[in-house]
Amino acid sequence: MSSVTLRKVVKRYGQVEVVHGIDLSVEEGEFVVLLGPSGCGKTTTLRMVAGLEDISAGQLEIAGRVVNDVAPKDRQIAMVFQNYALYPHMTVRQNMEFALKPQKLAANEVSARIAEAARILGLEPLLARKPAQLSGGQRQRVAMARAMVRTPKVFLFDEPLSNLDAKLRTQVRVEIAKLHRRLGTTVLYVTHDQVEAMTLADKIVIMKDGHIEQVGSPEEVFAKPRNLFVATFIGSPAMNLLPAKVAVVNGAPVLVANGFRLAAPPSIVSALDPGASVTLGIRPSDIRVDEAGDYEAVVEVDEYLGTEVLLNLRAGNHELVAQVPAAARPAPDRQSVRIGFDAARLHVFDTQSGEAIR
Amino acid sequence: MSHTANRDRRIAAVFLIPAIVVLFATTIYPMLYALWLSFRNYDLAKPFIPRIFVGLANYAEVLTSKAFFHALITTFKLMAMTLSAQLVLGVGIALLVSQKLPGMALARTLLLIPMMISPVIVGLVWLFLYFPELGYLNYFLGLVGIGPVPWISSTQWALTAIAIGDIWQWTPFIMMGTAAALQSLSPEPYEAARIDGNSRWDVFRYVTLPQLKPVLVSLLFLRAIDAFKIYDIIFVLTKGGPADATEVISLYIYRQSFTFWRMGVGAAASFVSLIIISVLITLFFKQMQRGQAARAR
Ligand SMILES: Nc1ncnc2c1ncn2[C@@H]1O[C@H](COP(=O)(O)OP(=O)(O)OP(=O)(O)O)[C@@H](O)[C@H]1O
Ligand SMILES: [Mg+2]
Repeated sequence: MSSVTLRKVVKRYGQVEVVHGIDLSVEEGEFVVLLGPSGCGKTTTLRMVAGLEDISAGQLEIAGRVVNDVAPKDRQIAMVFQNYALYPHMTVRQNMEFALKPQKLAANEVSARIAEAARILGLEPLLARKPAQLSGGQRQRVAMARAMVRTPKVFLFDEPLSNLDAKLRTQVRVEIAKLHRRLGTTVLYVTHDQVEAMTLADKIVIMKDGHIEQVGSPEEVFAKPRNLFVATFIGSPAMNLLPAKVAVVNGAPVLVANGFRLAAPPSIVSALDPGASVTLGIRPSDIRVDEAGDYEAVVEVDEYLGTEVLLNLRAGNHELVAQVPAAARPAPDRQSVRIGFDAARLHVFDTQSGEAIR
Repeated sequence: MSHTANRDRRIAAVFLIPAIVVLFATTIYPMLYALWLSFRNYDLAKPFIPRIFVGLANYAEVLTSKAFFHALITTFKLMAMTLSAQLVLGVGIALLVSQKLPGMALARTLLLIPMMISPVIVGLVWLFLYFPELGYLNYFLGLVGIGPVPWISSTQWALTAIAIGDIWQWTPFIMMGTAAALQSLSPEPYEAARIDGNSRWDVFRYVTLPQLKPVLVSLLFLRAIDAFKIYDIIFVLTKGGPADATEVISLYIYRQSFTFWRMGVGAAASFVSLIIISVLITLFFKQMQRGQAARAR
């Protein structure tokens, strides 16, 4: 049974439609991340699930029940906000108690749940403090504890890490992953950070301008991007794109890109129309840099990152970024290298529609 | 360098002189004169008799006078009535006009009008409303079968009548301050409470009110100082009467000085009330600081 289901869900503000009928299903226990650039409607979607925004059209189900007109408190959800949304004048313990108050639990149950959450999130020494006396990471852990004590069916997170510095972000990210593993509760998580999405998600939902572009596991969206937007949005450094034409040589299609002549990936040979304009996508890590390479390229800048090196290359008219292990770094004075491509690892997109050719 | 600094300071002093002169002429001189008077026997009815020094006699008289203590108690009674009503109404209206509903911005502006009217005019307005037979208030009360209420002509009602006028005028002050404070509260905790299902009352009681408290305390404090000095509206409505039912401190002082012409006693009463209010202010700030320290802990 799926835990959260959106069917053709639309959000309009007055005349302006910002979410255009999205379909999405979140399975029980799944960690689903909504990922997309700023303003694409992630927060709006999450807030519709929470019940903080009305749904203009479509249907929302939580745990098998249509909840379009159900008040937030009756949706069995808990939300963790970007800026924590803690009650500033209450201690950590009081924050959790207040969240539990509507459930009218016995006092010993309340303290048991608070003790459990505090133990799991390492808040025991902080229970008597107020939010102002906590660091950002601690505040976010309190916000999670406050959501957790309510034992919701679904956790909603809206960019919970974006107010934290880079190091803390990594730490809290691991905390969230651990928490999910431990509780097994369904999570719907919004972020614009692809690293968060890739590391946390069972399933990534990539959004753009109020549409869903692709839904898939981190491996899928990375290895098989459905269109140019997903291809360039996922992966860092970004995928190299080269305009190309489909030519036929000896009866086999060849991708010709201004100086490069690349064999087409075997799996899509039948889908290529001779003469069509396509866009080639090559991940920086898929560019081979070795003596056996077919093409010559000039290293314009190399960026050393410790375990790997980014080579900014110029090959003919093309500017490419290649990512190689630091051990394989060409000697610094080496201006010219040879590069090669693996046909099976090429991504080919229809230039007109931006869709991947499969 | 110190040369220019000195010159700057001298120029600054020159610019300050007019302000200092005005300040001295309008506040410090009258105050010192009143202080001087409070130790003298000065009868305005017999202005040519020398103002002889009488030591603390005026103060002794004030502090042992039944009328003075009656006035003090009346002042505090009135203060209790007006401040509690202004607090409840002001916060209530502020919560109302802070809703995102059509017309609320206009309502907020219109509700400020009473505060901008001079208290004497407010007194006159209410005088008309309270008119025993012709006043609107009794007319409307009559429609629902109440009254007529002898608003300002009975010792039983007069203080309430004055309180109503003051509440009408100054509730907007609390409302305005509270509405501004409400606007500065961050919205997310309210969304969290909505999701968690906390009742509206609990949210008000445990989320809004504690966050408003510092502002409310300051607003009430300002109102209290004003209420201690209340004068104009009473002068217009009842002149302290009937009998002494609405004689607050400032009217007591007025009566001593300008009805009985006993300027020395009036001045002494002024200083006694100044001391009372200063003590109250000091206690209040001590309390506030203690509260803040407790909150920080
Ligand atoms: N209250 C509102 N009234 C009108 N338009 C709104 C409102 N809230 C959001 N929008 C619009 O809806 C679109 C989606 O906003 P949303 O906040 O969901 O984006 P987001 O994906 O969360 O972006 P970010 O990563 O910046 O948080 C934006 O174009 C925004 O301008
Ligand atoms: Mg957002």
